[in-house]
Amino acid sequence: MTKLHLVRRTGNTLLRRIICYLAAIAISMGIGAILLLSLGINPLDYYSDMLTVGLIGNKYAYKSVEGFLKVFVPLLMVSMALALSFKMRFWNIGGEGEFLIGAMCAAAIAYRCDGMPGPVVLILMCLAAMISSGLVGLAVAFLKCRFNTNETLVTLMMNYIVLYAVKYIGETKAPWNFFLREDSERPLFAKFPDNAIMPGIMIGRFNLLYSVVISVILTVIIYIYLKYTKQGYEIAVVGDSINTARYAGMKVNGIILRTMFISAALIGLAGAFSASASATVSPSMTNNAGWTGIVVAWLSKLSIPGILVAAFLISLLQYGCLAASLSYPEIDQNFADLMQGMILFAVLMSDFLVTFKIVRRKETES
Amino acid sequence: MADEPYAIELRGICKTFGSIKANRNINLTLKKGEILALLGENGSGKTTLMNMLSGIYTPDAGSVFINGAKVTISSPEDSAKLGIGMVHQHFKLVENFSCADNIWIGARDKGFLLKKDRYKIIEDMASEFGFEIDPRKLVSMMSVSEKQTLEILKVLYYGASVIILDEPTAVLTVQETRKLFDVLRRMKESGHSVIIITHKLNEVMEISDRVAVLRKGEYIDTVVTSETTEKKLTELMVGRKIELNINRPAPNKTKPLLEIRNLTVLNDEGSVAVDDLRFYIRGGEILGVAGIAGSGQKELCEAIAGLRHVERGKIIHKGRNIAGLPPKTIFEAGIAFSFIPEDRLGMGLAPNMSIVDNVILKKYKYGTSPFVDRKSGRVEAEDIVKRYEVVTTSVDAPVRQMSGGNVQKVLLGREINASPNVLITAYPVRGLDINSSYLVYDTLNAQKAKGVGVLFVGEDLDVMMELCDKIMVMCHGRLMGVVRAVNTNKEELGLMMTGALDLVNAKEDKPAGIAVDSALTLEEWEREIEAEDKEVDKND
Amino acid sequence: MIDPIELMTLFLFSIIVYSIPLLYGTVGEIMVEKSGSLNLGVEGTMAVGAVIGYIVGCRADSIVAAMAVAFAMAALVGALFAFLTVTLQANQNVTGLTITTFGVAVYFFIGNALGNKWPQFQDSPGFAEGFSVIRIPFLSDIPVIGKVLFSHNIMVYMAVAIAILCWFYLNRTVPGLRLRAIGENPAAADSLGVKVALNKYIHIMVGSGIMGLGGLYMGLNMGGTFEGSNCWINGYGWIAIALVIFVNWSPAMAVAGTFVFGFFNTLRMYNGALASTFPEVLGWLDDIPAQFFSALPFIITLLVLIIDSLRKNKRSGQPKAIGLNYYREDR
Repeated sequence: MTKLHLVRRTGNTLLRRIICYLAAIAISMGIGAILLLSLGINPLDYYSDMLTVGLIGNKYAYKSVEGFLKVFVPLLMVSMALALSFKMRFWNIGGEGEFLIGAMCAAAIAYRCDGMPGPVVLILMCLAAMISSGLVGLAVAFLKCRFNTNETLVTLMMNYIVLYAVKYIGETKAPWNFFLREDSERPLFAKFPDNAIMPGIMIGRFNLLYSVVISVILTVIIYIYLKYTKQGYEIAVVGDSINTARYAGMKVNGIILRTMFISAALIGLAGAFSASASATVSPSMTNNAGWTGIVVAWLSKLSIPGILVAAFLISLLQYGCLAASLSYPEIDQNFADLMQGMILFAVLMSDFLVTFKIVRRKETES
Repeated sequence: MADEPYAIELRGICKTFGSIKANRNINLTLKKGEILALLGENGSGKTTLMNMLSGIYTPDAGSVFINGAKVTISSPEDSAKLGIGMVHQHFKLVENFSCADNIWIGARDKGFLLKKDRYKIIEDMASEFGFEIDPRKLVSMMSVSEKQTLEILKVLYYGASVIILDEPTAVLTVQETRKLFDVLRRMKESGHSVIIITHKLNEVMEISDRVAVLRKGEYIDTVVTSETTEKKLTELMVGRKIELNINRPAPNKTKPLLEIRNLTVLNDEGSVAVDDLRFYIRGGEILGVAGIAGSGQKELCEAIAGLRHVERGKIIHKGRNIAGLPPKTIFEAGIAFSFIPEDRLGMGLAPNMSIVDNVILKKYKYGTSPFVDRKSGRVEAEDIVKRYEVVTTSVDAPVRQMSGGNVQKVLLGREINASPNVLITAYPVRGLDINSSYLVYDTLNAQKAKGVGVLFVGEDLDVMMELCDKIMVMCHGRLMGVVRAVNTNKEELGLMMTGALDLVNAKEDKPAGIAVDSALTLEEWEREIEAEDKEVDKND
Repeated sequence: MIDPIELMTLFLFSIIVYSIPLLYGTVGEIMVEKSGSLNLGVEGTMAVGAVIGYIVGCRADSIVAAMAVAFAMAALVGALFAFLTVTLQANQNVTGLTITTFGVAVYFFIGNALGNKWPQFQDSPGFAEGFSVIRIPFLSDIPVIGKVLFSHNIMVYMAVAIAILCWFYLNRTVPGLRLRAIGENPAAADSLGVKVALNKYIHIMVGSGIMGLGGLYMGLNMGGTFEGSNCWINGYGWIAIALVIFVNWSPAMAVAGTFVFGFFNTLRMYNGALASTFPEVLGWLDDIPAQFFSALPFIITLLVLIIDSLRKNKRSGQPKAIGLNYYREDR
């Protein structure tokens, strides 16, 4: 008689992991294909539309790249920021709220600082976003450090409180409300003045926004920060064992507060970039980056290069579905969510094959 | 009796965790109605083997026979059905459940509804076995010994005929141990078979009928207790005749390096763990700290290292009061601290990080560069690996993947590399094999020879009497006296540990724990303490 | 001008109507959390149960079929969560969030795929009949209270019954004791031969099934119309997670707790009417923005969380092992 049971794998699993992940993506696309067929759509056509995000045979291809980057950059920044706190085993799932806070504070500067020189306004916007969002992160971290309040649930609640606050600002016509368009009867968020709109470097007709350039630089900085600096080392030790960190003379609470400030500030900055790039704000402007960022950070096992890859793939999926919906109106953005869910399920399952192995139990006959 | 089948027979049991072979080809027999001691050093595979009987682990190979019939145990449920019950070293109790509810979790034939009569049933059954326990008491309100009683009751309630106890005496006082042994004898009389895991030889001799010995995951032999001696058992356990003598070079003492007076420290629950303690260490001597587990040793060490708040009292290091200073400052003053907690990885090491990253743990902050200096860390890590014969695949491998002994070597190596003048080391040989233990003793002696003052918090009195120059005994956080290792014996130490003998004022001319050539004069001490009392009054 | 008594009756009646889906969601999540699993996928689980249950209910023209399918489909989503977190040991937060994304996407996918063929509630007379008000004899004739408490459809009564049953099950039965033990200390339960994984599966699935019923109720309350932009569940799943904390993991408390939250929700819809009917007493309601009432459940829960963590010597109903996966051979 043989019986199956599980044993944890040890040793290097990177190659196995990559193979498993690729298989997971393939399986999910297979199921997606069946769903597409059931709607009478040729999956090959659809997928090729999706994966090329309308680049091929399009004279406005540069527009597609710009559109893709608008999805990719916030997701990348949010995922990296979340990874910072997750590495410390601090479950900040308040990405949505922190993003909106950053965006709204940047917007307040944008509306109020009309007439100032562009670079000044932009820098002020970024600072306002980082400080406001960072302070919220700091508050959550303070509650955790001082009273051991459950940070997962606090940040979860915070997301909705912020969301409704933004909706309130966006839906209330009042003399104090400088966020709205004055010339419209219906409450609408106003467009930013020109000096608050993110400029870029023109490459042909393609506008490479400075926010994209900065986010790439930030990726490199965060990678180095986590891997080589003393502060990054502290984050790793705190995440691995709080007792050990204390024993080593680290000021654990200080590290948690600092890291959460940085994490939330980065998410706030992503919000400011996003607002400035689209020249306005809205309650749905996060494009679920706060939620998807959690998935991306997790998929990539909190490694920065991994996040770069995962954020790229998920953005491709999201933006690809949007691009493909031009030719397939019956399939909307939700198909991307559906696929994203299936891919994550498949990856979680393959994760299991990476960390465990199934062995048969041998029985020796006596 | 030869025809009667064994209560339990194991044949060829193997179990591997990753690359560690925890059990190799183990054969073991348990007779009905006997107490079998399972003896072996920490890490010899005793607990792993018993966990396979209780269904926590599944063996990779081998077979189990119960009353002569071959069985498969793949879950705790199987194990319970076969009449095997295990009392784990770490209690498996739900803290906010009552005593009765903890037993009722496993109830199968008690119907669907949770009835009030369970309290009565448990109470009756407990008194039947001669236990006194309140079935309504919450586990979180129970003492360690009560929790253990509950665990035994749980096992008995489910009709176990074989009872396995994993190091049951480790957390008990002498009196509680005696009570436990009475219980075990009663159980034996009523026909139960008992396996008791321990590495305390005197207990083996006292309680068991036969002794089975494991060594490094392998089965060595089973002997009848009445036909053997402690010395023979030690040989079976460690595999060769050992030189029981630990080297003890004559101390080359200096003035007191570290003096502690009136030290009061609280534990995590806020009750007094170290109570008005005083002692001192000179350079070039090893001071042992003896006491029953949980007598304030941990809190004392943490207070000296700056990891725990000092309620009251002075810690004078080379004439400077270090009480209340941050851990980093204390470490930089030359006080190194290595504490091996029960789970070995809890304090002092980051288990998922590499050896290199663990070696630099205490000095990663040196220098003004914002970057961590891993280059010198790597050199040091490789040096430690070589010097202490650490078995590892590479210095970049996470320490979690190493065995306990190797982890400890890294920890101790790091502390000694910091070239301290006071070395506080708690349980440094916990879980180490005999060779590694001697390596540690030699290392400590080398430090002593260099003029370092060593505070050695230990478990094994025999070792402390061989290694230390002086032994300080604590009981419930209070000082019971300081004795010279050559002038004392185990009985005296045992009496002091249980609080039966107080030698603090044994010598009229010199109270224990106060150095004649103190770093401060008597007036200075008085001034210091007065100043502090004023401080306390002000805060009140 | 509305009759004040009629308005108050309607107001109180609506509180119950809008509390019920929360009650289903909360009780379902309590069952899941008591097994030691924090499932952040309530929203998605409710959505899947709602949409499939509704469509099958219309096709079969029966509310029983609708409820059975809503329960079964949501339980299936629960099984997926259990498979990933219990068997495959995946992180519970990430799995739960993905269940939400996925479940809501399924809702929209099915809705969009059906398009014009989306079944109408009114076209299924048997289904509509089953969801109509059942007046409890005599009790429903009491003025005000009769209308408020005893003139509801079957699913309202069922929700309260399920909540009380779950409370009884958790606190007064042996399997309930076993479940709580698993949530507190799975190793202890395991060592007594309790099948931890099986119990987790069962209770995650049952709890998810209960959430699915709440989803179905929400859909029916909106007349079963599919809107391309808004999911029926509309954030109620998240409020349910908040409520679990607010009611300290007790299904009995959940009955009261959901009415508190339902009260704020209803206030948002009635604040104008209440303010104009009782200008002296409730006139100030007009000045409070609707979004504040929407945010109130989250604000209250946040405060509860913080106050709860300030308290010392607390006896919280939160299972100790929540969020942690159990792997017997871990060491």
